[in-house]
Amino acid sequence: MTGSSSPPSPALTLPAPRARGGWRLPPAFGLATPATLFVLIALIGPLLLMFRYSLNRFVPGQMMVEALTLANYAKFFGDSFYQEVLGTTVWVSALSTLLCLVAGFPVAYFLVRQASPVWKGRLLLLVILPLLMGNAVRTAAWMVILGDKGLFNAVIGVIGISPVKLMYTPTAVVIGLVSVLLPFMIVTLQSVLEGIDANLESAAASLGAGHLTTLWRVVLPLALPGILAGTLLCFILSMNAYAPPVLIGGPSFHMMAPTVYQQVAKAMNWPFGAALAFVLMAVTLVLTTSANILVQRRYRRWSE
Amino acid sequence: MSEVVLQSIVKRYEAVPAVDNISLSIGEGELVALLGPSGCGKTTTLRMIGGFIPVTEGRILVGGRDVTHLPPNKRNMGFGFQNYALFPHMSVGENVAFGLQMRKVSRADIARRVKIALDRVKLAHLSDRLPKQLSGGQQQRVALARALVIEPDVLLLDEPLSNLDAQLRNEMKLEIRRIQQQLGITTIFVTHDQDEALSIADTVVLMRAGRIEQQGAPDDLFERPASHFAAEFMGVTNLLPGEVAGSDRFRLKGGDTILVPVAGRAGPHAFAIRPERLEIDGEASAANTLSAEVEIATYRGLVIDYRVKTPSGLCLTARRPSPAAGGPAPLPVGRPVRVSFAPEAGTLVPM
Repeated sequence: MTGSSSPPSPALTLPAPRARGGWRLPPAFGLATPATLFVLIALIGPLLLMFRYSLNRFVPGQMMVEALTLANYAKFFGDSFYQEVLGTTVWVSALSTLLCLVAGFPVAYFLVRQASPVWKGRLLLLVILPLLMGNAVRTAAWMVILGDKGLFNAVIGVIGISPVKLMYTPTAVVIGLVSVLLPFMIVTLQSVLEGIDANLESAAASLGAGHLTTLWRVVLPLALPGILAGTLLCFILSMNAYAPPVLIGGPSFHMMAPTVYQQVAKAMNWPFGAALAFVLMAVTLVLTTSANILVQRRYRRWSE
Repeated sequence: MSEVVLQSIVKRYEAVPAVDNISLSIGEGELVALLGPSGCGKTTTLRMIGGFIPVTEGRILVGGRDVTHLPPNKRNMGFGFQNYALFPHMSVGENVAFGLQMRKVSRADIARRVKIALDRVKLAHLSDRLPKQLSGGQQQRVALARALVIEPDVLLLDEPLSNLDAQLRNEMKLEIRRIQQQLGITTIFVTHDQDEALSIADTVVLMRAGRIEQQGAPDDLFERPASHFAAEFMGVTNLLPGEVAGSDRFRLKGGDTILVPVAGRAGPHAFAIRPERLEIDGEASAANTLSAEVEIATYRGLVIDYRVKTPSGLCLTARRPSPAAGGPAPLPVGRPVRVSFAPEAGTLVPM
């Protein structure tokens, strides 16, 4: 400060440039336009259309009759079969996601902290490799392994254990789902763990914390955003899974996505299929959003 | 609080030695600086003492106890990290309390000791803040409080001042020294800055390529560098190669012969003399006088550095106070000058 009290020069009192010609869009907006339009047209459009369908009436023989009725939703909430399907979908998804988290975290942690740069690249490629194969192909492979005379039973037979019924059980579906979802969990956790300073763990150790305490008090809280992201990703994918429940679950095992397909493509009941799809979407949204809010409350304080 | 002894410790990464046979004995309550350029193994040495890097060979003793193979959480050492490594999800108070919680100290005692530790670094009023809400200097203080609250046997500091600006660095330097003396805690700190090492350490250990180049009291290292590297690292800018030519005589590469105490040395050496010890246009009776010409004059505020060149091609840097510090008027470039120095103004170092 020079102490001079001359008025600020006129150039400094001019309003900010954007006030000159009205409000101007930032350039990124222009670049975001194609994706925005695509989402509007290709996602929101069909969703609205579907929602409209779900309010129509189904008349056998005529397929869909224009109407404004909640009968399809009433049918879902009035029929315990469909509620059980939803229940199965939720618990199978929750269990698969939990298993992915428990199995994926150590792998992601190992990749980030222990593996040398060369091996990290190779191992990460191995983790992602299954994603390069189609879902259905991988699931078909699980049929080979889990079948009554499959690889698994053959191997335990060698050890002298009698064969286990796995194929067409919920257990088999969970196994299939975990194998499909695990790479997503590992990659998500890996990217978040990568951002945690290794010195923090050293600091905890120098202050007297053992490995488990360091994990519990330092690593897990800081990895919470990644754990949340990976969990939501796996849960959503699992709620909407199609191939594993159909191929490994068999004809008497029902999850939501195949049921929607069955209504639309087999029963030709578009209105009810649309209603089921909306119930699935609503339940997924409510569960993931509440998880998001609950968890974010814990780390908002320091992450902002 | 204990003495620390390193017995020929070695760290090899796939046969490449990062630390190559270092032995060091650090007395109780002593502050030792490991000084050296990046890649000299100083941080690796510190991390081995802290237990974060396994030792390939050798032993580390703390207060007579062999800690070579103990995990870091069993060593009772305070470690200050270059980036402070404060837990971002814990408040200042929780950060400091962490080590005490690990030691199962009672809740009331934790509160009391955290308060004392934060008072010591003058931050008790910020106890509820998150680390990211603090300035770099404050974070450094919290890190120090966190490392000291557990009453460690040894305090290890990795480049504690390198992330601070010049003024804060000076302040923290004195602060670290004050706290260290107050607690009488054995401290080892790593730095690449000779000024830092000289101003607070009891002993400076100069390292180069995984080995100890020279160790001693700050003035010892600064005034009597024992090697070309040590002289260069301690800021001796004039290192004139040549050969010992008889008693008290040293022949410079350009052909000039100067008068210096040889002290029984022979063969190729370099004459190391600080720019401050070269006198420009001093008394004509000085033992060594070279005529030269000003080549470059660099104004540095309180001093002016003159690079001068002799007819034989020898380049020297001489430093004089600037007029701002009461020195004589600046010399123009191209001006012929007489450069003189006493025989004992510099030392001979082996090449």
